[in-house]
Amino acid sequence: MKYSLKNIKKALIIGLDGVPYSLLNYYFKKDYLPNLKKILKDGFSLHPMNASIPDVSSVSWTSFITGVNPGEHGIYGFTELLKDTYSLYFPNAENRAASPFWEILGKTHQKVSTLSQKYDKKINFPYRSIIFNVPQTYPAYPINGILVSGFVAIDLKKAVYPDSIYSYLNSINYIIDIEADNAKEDMNKFINNIFKCFEIRKKAISYFFENKPWDIFFACITETDRLHHFFFDASMNEDHPYHQKFLNFYILLDNWIKLLYEDFQKKFSEKGLFVILSDHGFCSVKKEVYINRFLEEEGFLKLRKEGEFYERIDYETKAFTLDPCRIYIHNKSYPRGQISKEEMSSLISELKNNLNKLKGENGEEVIDKIFEKQEIYQGPYIDMAPDLVCLPKDGYDLKGSLDKKCVFGTNRFAGMHTWHDAFCILPENIGLPEKPSIENISDFIMQFFSKLE
Amino acid sequence: MDYLTKLESKSIYIIREAYYRFKRIAMLWSVGKDSTTLLWLCRKAFFGNIPFPIIHIDTSYKFPEMYQFRDERVKQWNLKLIIGRNEEKLREGMGPDQGSKLECCNELKTNALKLVIKKYKLKAILLGIRRDEHGIRAKERYFSPRDSQFKWDYENQPAELWDQYQSMVEEDEHFRIHPILHFTELDVWNYIKREKLPIVSLYFSKKGKRFRSIGCVPCCSPIDSNAQTIDQIIEEIRTTKTSERSGRAQDKENIYTMQKLRALGYM
Repeated sequence: MKYSLKNIKKALIIGLDGVPYSLLNYYFKKDYLPNLKKILKDGFSLHPMNASIPDVSSVSWTSFITGVNPGEHGIYGFTELLKDTYSLYFPNAENRAASPFWEILGKTHQKVSTLSQKYDKKINFPYRSIIFNVPQTYPAYPINGILVSGFVAIDLKKAVYPDSIYSYLNSINYIIDIEADNAKEDMNKFINNIFKCFEIRKKAISYFFENKPWDIFFACITETDRLHHFFFDASMNEDHPYHQKFLNFYILLDNWIKLLYEDFQKKFSEKGLFVILSDHGFCSVKKEVYINRFLEEEGFLKLRKEGEFYERIDYETKAFTLDPCRIYIHNKSYPRGQISKEEMSSLISELKNNLNKLKGENGEEVIDKIFEKQEIYQGPYIDMAPDLVCLPKDGYDLKGSLDKKCVFGTNRFAGMHTWHDAFCILPENIGLPEKPSIENISDFIMQFFSKLE
Repeated sequence: MDYLTKLESKSIYIIREAYYRFKRIAMLWSVGKDSTTLLWLCRKAFFGNIPFPIIHIDTSYKFPEMYQFRDERVKQWNLKLIIGRNEEKLREGMGPDQGSKLECCNELKTNALKLVIKKYKLKAILLGIRRDEHGIRAKERYFSPRDSQFKWDYENQPAELWDQYQSMVEEDEHFRIHPILHFTELDVWNYIKREKLPIVSLYFSKKGKRFRSIGCVPCCSPIDSNAQTIDQIIEEIRTTKTSERSGRAQDKENIYTMQKLRALGYM
């Protein structure tokens, strides 16, 4: 089979961390995002989308890039427990058990997944990718193209492939992420840092976009998520002191997307696929809800004084939570676990009952949905899945902290993630369901590249 | 030749080879057991008179026992000591509580060493790294080139065939040479025992605790142990299941990851 290099397909994918469908819609109505609105008129449609469960960036982006659910890719959160010692570890790209779409397209994938099985034979050309700042891709590893890892990348030297990229990024003083800790001290300085970080990111993206060869260009913007965590209450409230600044960020974003989009159209109008998506939505926080404290008060969790974090789990513990609300039954597979297989199902119903009774301000319900693992996960890694996962009502941010004295509390965060309010922008009339899930999107990207024309 | 003598000969061969190739060479000495073993081997290689300087990177946060041990050995073994400190950052108050631990390590260790290399125009450094220390070390070579950013390109290193060590160096690069790469933790202790090598007292148990790996005070914690002699340490290491560096907070990346996640409200 022969390929003319002229006809190689191209894709530009923009990831906007934590941008909600509802906010985009509101800003469209207000006419704050004229460029994005114009792009939509070019034959694209904006869809609301469900994030992964749980709706944290590491899981959601991994679900997007692999096109499979956590039961198959094995990433359930930013943290996991080592069963035999109860110590925490932080899963990274090395723990991901399914290949991302760029490896299948690049003919370099090493792991078999539902997505790779479906498309491996249909991709005949090794496509070259530039993957920039996608969360949970650290440490960087060889791909057909260029990889710059995103959050939680620690050491920039280990966050780049190939190595030669490092000297360029170092020369522009590239930063992987703002120091969110600084928000404690000076909010004004902090928000300015978000803008600075965005500028540097744009600079690096333009450099790779213009100067390096690629067939798939996928870049994520992290600053939206950071802005939302600390300033989401300013998003629609015109009296908020940071409202204008918040809006300014979106105006910059709107302009940047336009420039990138136009550049892409100019170069590859005939054979290009253009996609924008977020990994979860956002809403304002009313209260943080500390589920481990709740489990303690209800007699499910018993912590001792010695040890760090989950090492404190004692023999009497029946269940505990990892962030944001992944509940694990403390069964006999843990050294101090006492719950037998026979007791599991009654304990699970008891937990569900109690959680459903949890009431917030003015008797509002806190928990929106509770899933048992087999309802939402399928695949070889279901064994390590949490036994229950809860999704809250908007405004109640579920947390896994272990050192809280009350079930409800407040923190310096203004925004919280939502599962139901992510978005995607894709070409219209492609038969996408009204409300897709994030793991459905890469199938469409693969279809685009596997179709012979 | 017995096992330890074989290890020793191999190390001495590499040390002499390195000195023959690079006149601008120095040895990095952390005062810990591995680099003290390397120091001993360097002395043996040159019959007691080491012809190059010994660098100690001083973060100012080392244990008092380590400073004392260092100064005693310098006198006893007549060493040319270079103390490397990032004075500028120390003046600014850099420490593990200021900024992140990763930043602290970067400034007070890595950058302090960069300053020394620049000042003395060094082309090669001898280090007491062992292959069994950490997973990433499995790919290390005896002669390992670094660029000006200290980056180790482990996928693009010259092949080492038998004892044909690649030791050519580009401008602006330096070589890291690892003469005890083939020693294991247990080999080091057996060798210390055989040679009756002096060693910092922190390695021996006091009140049921001892240090298995030493560095800066704020980032090291002792392990539970009753091993008060080298024989007892050897017996302990032979039977232990935990890793050597488990007492070091400096799984730097984990600490930094935790800090980043907490800043965003996780954990």
